[in-house]
Amino acid sequence: MTIDYIDKAAQWFCTIIAVLMVCLLLSLFVFIAKESLPIWLTEGVITIIAGSSWAPLTTPPRIGILTMFLSTLWASCGAMAIAVPLGICCAVFLSEFAPLWASFAIRTTLRVLTGIPSVVYGFLGASVVIPWYEKIVGLSSGESLFCASLVLSIMVVPYIVAGTYTALQAIPDEYRETGYSLGVSPVHVTCRILLPIARRNMVSSISLAFGRAAGETMAVLMLAGNTLTLPFSWFSKGEPLSALIALEIGSADVGSPHYQGIFAAGLLLLLLTSVISFAINYTNIRGRQP
Amino acid sequence: MMRKCLIMLCAVLLAVAVTGCSTQTSKTEQQTKDYSIKLGGSSTLSPVMAKCADDFTEKYKSWKKVQDTFPDEAITIFVATGGSGFGVKSAINSSVDMGLVAREVTSAEKEKLSNHKLYTLGYDALTIAVHPQNPIVKVKPNMTTAEIKKVFAGEIKTWDQLDPALPKRPIVIAIRDLGGGANQAFDEAVMKATPISQEALQLPSMGALAGKVQENIDAIGYVSFGFVNQNKGKIATLSVDGVEPTVDNIVSGAYKISRPLIVIAKSQPDERQQEFMKYLLSEQGVKTLADMGFIPAKR
Repeated sequence: MTIDYIDKAAQWFCTIIAVLMVCLLLSLFVFIAKESLPIWLTEGVITIIAGSSWAPLTTPPRIGILTMFLSTLWASCGAMAIAVPLGICCAVFLSEFAPLWASFAIRTTLRVLTGIPSVVYGFLGASVVIPWYEKIVGLSSGESLFCASLVLSIMVVPYIVAGTYTALQAIPDEYRETGYSLGVSPVHVTCRILLPIARRNMVSSISLAFGRAAGETMAVLMLAGNTLTLPFSWFSKGEPLSALIALEIGSADVGSPHYQGIFAAGLLLLLLTSVISFAINYTNIRGRQP
Repeated sequence: MMRKCLIMLCAVLLAVAVTGCSTQTSKTEQQTKDYSIKLGGSSTLSPVMAKCADDFTEKYKSWKKVQDTFPDEAITIFVATGGSGFGVKSAINSSVDMGLVAREVTSAEKEKLSNHKLYTLGYDALTIAVHPQNPIVKVKPNMTTAEIKKVFAGEIKTWDQLDPALPKRPIVIAIRDLGGGANQAFDEAVMKATPISQEALQLPSMGALAGKVQENIDAIGYVSFGFVNQNKGKIATLSVDGVEPTVDNIVSGAYKISRPLIVIAKSQPDERQQEFMKYLLSEQGVKTLADMGFIPAKR
């Protein structure tokens, strides 16, 4: 009788906490949408998203965040393009081919890498990566979305490695033993048999990594150059949405079009990461169906 | 049944959360319990404030030593950066006790600060700074305001367009972000509403701007006079319209690109804050300000 009561109470308690978490996320959306609503209504959704001129302090204020949106896409997709192949190959090596001591050492190092604050990465990038890039390419100023992507990929690789490694370790040894006993080469076993099985967990760790890369603020603030020109290539300078918010929120008067424009950028960033995460996870789950 | 309950619970919690977000919570008067002083604002002024706060804390250690009537509490002074705009905004909504502003406070902002108290600690000039190894230092150490305006507006894109004796390398313009105090002061003195080039690099703080000019040979930026003095030999400055950025020229007003360094409080500061302000305006505070390269206001 008593145990039944405790059981029910525990169940309800967990349900309430879970519901609270969902409400927290939804209220975040609602708050940001509310703060930026006036500017969406005044300027119109298309003008803001497709507009390329950002001059919120002129009269009338020009709020166009296309530059920032493209910069975020370049920086985060570029980072993923570098980090995903690196991460998957590293995880495959750690799981299948590395001796135990090497695997342990490298995994510990990667775990430490996740703990390093992003401002330290930004600082290192600004003092090491950018002068190196300037020297190699011969440019007068090395800030670019490419350098931001480089540093972002270093920040994001540990997540991909950890997720893929766990996914590969979870596959029972029978698969490998069967493959080897039939004379299949280790590489073929890994690529054609193990990776497709591990695909679900791999993809969810990649979506987590993308969320981190798109939302990263301090590293891109110091590395992307923060210019207002449209970034037509990976190697041009830009100003990702997160850098825009960090740079300008301090000086915007509460309630002014400038403030609302910054919240609009925040809403766009939130929607971008949410939609991509959701889309990746949805196709992931659906892909399971044979 | 369970599902309906769940949905209703969700809706109720969401409603509660949203109303919670929108009501303005009044700031509880914590003066009787919380003795810390919070300052925040300009990234140019905050290093000076931090040093003064350190010196003040070192000297007195406890409020009781400052004045006998104060309680025996340890002195804690927090200094934050965020830009002059942030300093004014935080002073208005009372998230700091006193805001640090490195530009003139506009009348619109003064209106929002009902009976404010404004202290001008001194003056800072914005120098047109380049890397010391930039050939312009030898070839053309003086620029007219019109030329500076053209360079920063992006009309003159390479060094050789400015002067044929300079190399054909692109000019890298470094500015503070649009809301920064330095940008507004520069706009009033030089740009006069002409927009700065879209390709200018926006740096998040004056320290970062000084760093950019120090490390990049093609960079030009408006670096605070104080930061130039703190990095003697690593930053070269150009004179503007024949006037060099020296202490005498800035004090006399001959050097036009200058801005006041202001500490602003929303209402009359309480006794502890007044004691700290007295320290700032006293000989030691003035000396710290001058040591860091700024120009103290004449008492």
